[in-house]
Amino acid sequence: MARMNDVGGMQGFGPVDTTDDTAPFHADWEARVFALNGALIAQKVYNLDEFRDAVESMPPAEYLAASYYERWFFAIRTLLERKGVVAAGELDD
Amino acid sequence: MTDDRYAPGARVRTVHHDPPHHTRLPRYARGKRGTVIEPEGRAPLADVRAQGRDDWPVEQVYAVRFAARDLWGEGEHHVVLDLFESYLEDDQP
Repeated sequence: MARMNDVGGMQGFGPVDTTDDTAPFHADWEARVFALNGALIAQKVYNLDEFRDAVESMPPAEYLAASYYERWFFAIRTLLERKGVVAAGELDD
Repeated sequence: MTDDRYAPGARVRTVHHDPPHHTRLPRYARGKRGTVIEPEGRAPLADVRAQGRDDWPVEQVYAVRFAARDLWGEGEHHVVLDLFESYLEDDQP
């Protein structure tokens, strides 16, 4: 199954962005998403490989349009719903 | 002494699967010939753990060297990937 994350060696995405940007987060919500994911893995709600799988399951058009932590939040929401921690749609808005 | 399936210098070929879940074998390196450099240690097989199963095998991970030309048809450099043992098959001449 083709997944949008697996583009190693693929042409057509333009030049690599080599901007020297070392800030870990660019908004508070990104730091919260980062912390939330670490806590959920530490609590064994899901594991790191399930998380990566969930990120990669994002529909390709959404994946390409999303930022790094928007992809993370998609995966967190997907897994929390799949595990029954939250109801479908409960985390919308 | 080692129980590893592959010794340094072994000629291997990667499998050519396209699983519907997370894998650590990138698409550009599927069905390609390479040479084992050395074992890197054992780790849970990500492909199984990504499915939310708890019966994942623990496998040896190998550093495997590929000629860029074999991966992309051009280039004079080499690419080294860390690959799980089950991604590899003996390369029969």
